[in-house]
Order: sequence, then structure tokens, then C-alpha cells
Amino acid sequence: MAGGFRAPVKARRREQEAGLKRANFGDGPGLPTLLLLPQLLILLFFFFIPSLRALMQSVLLSDPFGTNVQFVWFDNFKMLFASSEYRQSIAVTFWFTVAQNVLTLGSALVLAFATDRIVRGRSIYRTIILLPYAIAPAIAGILWAFLFNPAVGPLAQVLHGFGIAWDPNLNPTDALILVTLAASWKHICYDYIFLVVGLLAVPVSLMEAAAVDGAGPIRRFVSIALPMLGPTIFFLTVMNFIYGFFETFAIIDAVTKGGPAGATNILVYKVFVDGFVNLDLGSSAAQSVLLMSFALICTLLQFRYFDRKVNYGV
Amino acid sequence: MGRKVAFIAALFGALALAGPVQARVEVQWWHAMSGVLADRLNELVEKFNTSQDKYTVVAVAKGNYDEVTNGVIAAYRAKRPPEMVQIAERGYMTMLLSGAVVPVQDLMDQKGYKIDFSDFIKPVASFWSYKGRMSAMPFNSSTPIFWYNKDHFQKAGFDKPADTWQELEKQLYTIKSKGISECGTVLPGDFYWSLLENYSAINNQPYGTLANGFDGLGTEFVYNKTKVVSQVARLKKWLDDGVMQIAGQGFSPEHLFTSGRCSTFVNSTASHGNIERNATINWSATFLPHESDVNPPLNSTIGGGAIWVLKGHTPERYEAVAAFLNFVAQPETQVWWHGATGYVPATNRAYALARERGYYKDHPTREIAVLQLSRGTPNENSRGFRFGNFVQTMLAQRQEVEAVFAGQKQPQQAMDDAVKRGNEILRQFEKLNAGKTPETERP
Repeated sequence: MAGGFRAPVKARRREQEAGLKRANFGDGPGLPTLLLLPQLLILLFFFFIPSLRALMQSVLLSDPFGTNVQFVWFDNFKMLFASSEYRQSIAVTFWFTVAQNVLTLGSALVLAFATDRIVRGRSIYRTIILLPYAIAPAIAGILWAFLFNPAVGPLAQVLHGFGIAWDPNLNPTDALILVTLAASWKHICYDYIFLVVGLLAVPVSLMEAAAVDGAGPIRRFVSIALPMLGPTIFFLTVMNFIYGFFETFAIIDAVTKGGPAGATNILVYKVFVDGFVNLDLGSSAAQSVLLMSFALICTLLQFRYFDRKVNYGV
Repeated sequence: MGRKVAFIAALFGALALAGPVQARVEVQWWHAMSGVLADRLNELVEKFNTSQDKYTVVAVAKGNYDEVTNGVIAAYRAKRPPEMVQIAERGYMTMLLSGAVVPVQDLMDQKGYKIDFSDFIKPVASFWSYKGRMSAMPFNSSTPIFWYNKDHFQKAGFDKPADTWQELEKQLYTIKSKGISECGTVLPGDFYWSLLENYSAINNQPYGTLANGFDGLGTEFVYNKTKVVSQVARLKKWLDDGVMQIAGQGFSPEHLFTSGRCSTFVNSTASHGNIERNATINWSATFLPHESDVNPPLNSTIGGGAIWVLKGHTPERYEAVAAFLNFVAQPETQVWWHGATGYVPATNRAYALARERGYYKDHPTREIAVLQLSRGTPNENSRGFRFGNFVQTMLAQRQEVEAVFAGQKQPQQAMDDAVKRGNEILRQFEKLNAGKTPETERP
């Protein structure tokens, strides 16, 4: 890829004529830059400038209206690490993200395998499974909160019928289970789409050969389809982590508001509450800087250690 | 083609005719009302707009109180603030010390409106004024009252809920044990306001030092050394015994009461509109209970919001703002708003007017809030709460109470922790606002 522009003109012409893969934009970097510009501008305004502002804000103590601003070095960070709620929030986020990831991916895999086996009405099943993706997170959250409401929720009544003292308003564990279920349910369809497409790419000949050799459907799925889905699963794991870190905020807000007693106060929700409800901008900015670093570290680690186990060759 | 031209010409003609009307000065008012209350607010604005031809007030709903606050902060920082904004009582110190507002009394003086600010009922006047001068125009003032299901109480053999917590507890346990209702009461979503803060005021307990923050920024919370601790323990006991339920997210405590599932409910007087519309039960309301050893009980304190005026506008626009605020302060407007919503009439004259008209004969529960607010002589403990970053300290406190409900902490421990966390937050606010005095300059 690199050095593309410097290739001798003649050689490039030849490539062009031969219809080779590389795209050509004439001589010089002018046109490519121009074409990239809209994207770069979007990144600049919606990512780089806000990130820089967050970095700046994280070392300031300021009133909400910005009329009084003090530079406080790293006080905001120090206060965060000294606070037990922040440590609780990190722990909760960790459990929530990991559990959500396992649950989402696991269910999506089972569903993808199941629909792949179905011959008649496959597209109907797929459509039904994809439906939750069209529901806004807040509405999904309210739905789950209602179904499992200990006073009026039908599913909570079922649980009570089994003698389980289910009450997410009181019991921190129940609340964490509830938001994990709601968040996973909302995201299964996302993983499912990718896995279905991934399964379509598995060569039929391989499957048939295995079938001829006497491998059952589950064996074929585990030994052939699954390894070939490796890159997809890896991609989804990364995306699920990012989803858990950043996009589950609306669900938490609708289902538990971070409670009870901070049991579901995941990092991104805490950033929101401290910034937009408590108007503690410095602390909120410091938290978003840290949150971004955590996400970055997680993603890097995944690429470093998990990526090695992924087989990209087909 | 010809028709199109004629149409466009007609359109321009219409616009030209509309020209003089457009000359009305337009000002924006961002508010946090929704549902029935938003409809009433729009009616109020419409009344003002049609009452004269110089000014137009545009009411813009910006979501809940938090969202309105965030919206106005963003707008102010972008140098495009609305002229007026409705802010909840908890945001008083933030607004007062923001450097972004014009004190309402200064504005009214300057624009030549004579408003008798001493006529505002005491808890309202003392809450919204700083050093005797009104900072914001009181708009929707409320206070928690005690709602109950008449039939449930009668079936259990009681006329009405008892005055004291001790007696009330017996009643609720009786109702539960006789199987009359599933739960005696439901925990309000804003229990920190009704069952802790107002509890302190009514029972003459200090909440913080320096007259609950009225005397300066150096205030500290002290509610971990008062009856609030035993109040939290009481709520926990009721919860464990199934006498109290928590409605939880996505489901309003009000519904558990209006559907007849729970027998009582503590909530703002402003929920009159909703309860009248939704309740299928034979309901009534009374004063909040007090401790049996506290006599006489003091006044409760106000919640709700007021209208703040923001800096950075032209004199003509402030003319419009002053005219509107003057309209809001009129007894007629206040009486109408009181009747339409259930909020408290803000002035004594408005209250007298409502009485004169026999309004409370038909709507006896609407008077409870006023009577409860003006009961006894307000003292340091009952004048109200003036803490910086009050929303933040409240959320910390709520989290600690939830830890008690979840069985993770003992009430004393939780309140100690809440006070410790709250005081740290107060010190942040003090550090940021050290030596600052609120603006008194003229617009």
C-alpha cells in the first residue's frame, strides 16, 4: 500500500491497463487528499477537538457556566482513584462487559447455527431475530424493566412463583443480571448478522465432505464452521467490548439508573451522571479520558493476544 | 405558471401584512414541564401573549430539570442563552453564583414594576431570595403531602391517617395484616426530598450547619447525628416487613397508589392533576406525619422551580421579560395556575383570593400544601436547604440509603458515609466559589 504514489509512471499505467487491484488517482497527492478531506474534517470536529477538550477539562475545576475556572493539575484524577465508588464502578463495568460479551456472542452463535440448519422459512426466522435491533435502547430498557418489575412484571411473577425472591430494585445482583440480560438481548442481533454472513462464506464442499465422512451437524459446526468464523468472532468480541463500554448507557438509565447502591453504575453511566446531572465537569472529563484509555488498552490487548489465535486463511 | 406567480405574490403580500405583527419583541422561556403541566404552562403563556400586543413569549420544553439546566449551560457558553429559564430549587446556588443571571428584583425595579415581594408566602420568599432580594421569580412551588386511600383506612377501622409516624406505623401494619391492601405505602421516587429533607424541617432537626447553608458556603451536613438515621431505619424495617414497596425504574410509584395496590403515598402537591385524572380509588390527602415527641411540628419546605433571567440580552428584550414576570406575579395568574396544576399559590394575596372564591370548599386537599408550608414559625431548620452542588450531594445520599435497603450497610454507617461524601462535594463547591458574591449589577 505504502509508496503507491512513487511507483514509476509507466509501471502504474501498466497496472491500470491490466485492471489490477490498486486504485490510481493520477499524479501527486492532491485528489486523494481532497477525497479524504470530508472524513478527516468529521474526525477533526467530532473526535479530535472533543478529545482535546476533554483532556484540557480533566485538569480544570470549573463551574458549569464556565465563569470561574481553576487549574488543579491532576486533582480530578487523584480524587477518582481515592473514591471507592469509582473503584466499584470499574469492577461493575468489568463484570458487566465480560458477561455481556459471552452471553451475546454465545446466543448469537447458537441462533446462527440453528437458522443455518433450517431450510424452510429461514428468512422469516432471520427477520424475527433481527427485530430487536430496530428498537431504541431506552425503549428496550423500559421493556425489560417492566417485564422484571417485582410488583407488576409478568416474568418477575413467574420467578416469584418458583420461589425466587427476585427484586432488582433492592438486590444489587438481580439488578446487574437484569441490565446484562437487557444489554445482551439488544446486541445479539448485531452479532447474529455477522455470524450468518460468516456462515454463508463457509464452502459447502467442505461441509459436504465432512458429512460424507460421517460428521454430524454439531461436529461440522464446531470443527469446520467455527474456526472459519474466527476473524468474524474476533471482530465481534472487539465490537462487543466497545458496545459494553460506551453504548449501554441508555439501557442502564432506563432499567436501573445505576442503582441500587451503585450496583449497575458502569463507567460510561457515571461519566454521564457526573457531567450532566451533577455538573462536575472536571471529574467527568477525567473519567472519560480514563474510560477511553481503558477501552484502548482492552482493544490493544485483544489484538495482541487474541488475534494470534485467529486463522485468516480460508 | 400564472397561478404559481399569483400564489407567490399573494404569499409575499401576506408576509408584508404580517410585518407589523412581527415587530413584537420575542423572548424565549425554556422550561421543564411535561404532560398536563406543560399544557397548562402553554395556556399561561398564551394568556400573556394575547393580553397585550408588544411582546411574545415563546415557551420551549427542553426535557426534565437536568436537561433544561444542561441546555441553558450549553447555550450560555455558546453565547446564545434564552432570556428566561425554569430551574429547580436544587440548582439555586449554582444559578446564584453562576455569574450568568440578572437578579429578578433588580430587573423589576429597573423596569419600573412595583411588585410587593414581601407578599410572597414565607417559605417561597425566603427560599428564592438572597439577602432579602428576590433572585428568581417563584413559579411552580410545591411541597410533599400525604396521600391516602380512604376506603382502605375505613375498612381497617380508621377515620384517616394518624398525625404521628408512630401511630401511622400501627395503622399501616394493621392494613397489611388484615389483607386490605398489598402494601401500606410505596417509596416515592424522590424520597430524599419528602422523607429526609422535609422530615428534618418538620421535626425541627438540623440538616447542615450554618442554618442549613443559608449563612454561608462553609456549611457541613449533620443529618447523620439526627432523627434522620432512625427514619432511614424505619423505612428499612417497613421494606423488610412488606409494608412498603419500591416501584422501581420504568414504573411510577404513583401508579401503585392510584391503582389501589398501595394504601398511602407521599408525593408533591403538584401531582393533583395526574391523580385526579388517573385514580380509580376513593382518595384524599393530609399533612405529612411527624414524630410523636415533636410538638408542634414545623413547616415543610418548598420544591419546584423558579424563573431565572439570563444575562446578555438587549434592553427591549428585558422589557418583555419584566412584563411577563409581572404577569406571572399577579394574584389572578397565581390563582389560575394554583387551580390548574396543584402548585402552591406563591403570594398571600393569591391564597386569600382562592379562599374568598370558596375554592378550597370544593378542593380541600389543595389547601394542605399552603397550610403545611405556613405552619408555625419557620426557624433555621425549616427555612429550606441551600447547599452547593445539591444534586450531587443528594445522589450520594440516595446511593447510601439504597445500600441500607439492599442490606449492605446499617443506617448509621450509611448516613455517616453520605455525610462524609456530601461534605467533600460541598468543599469542592466552596473552593470553586470562594470569595464570590452573587451579581447585583443592573442589567
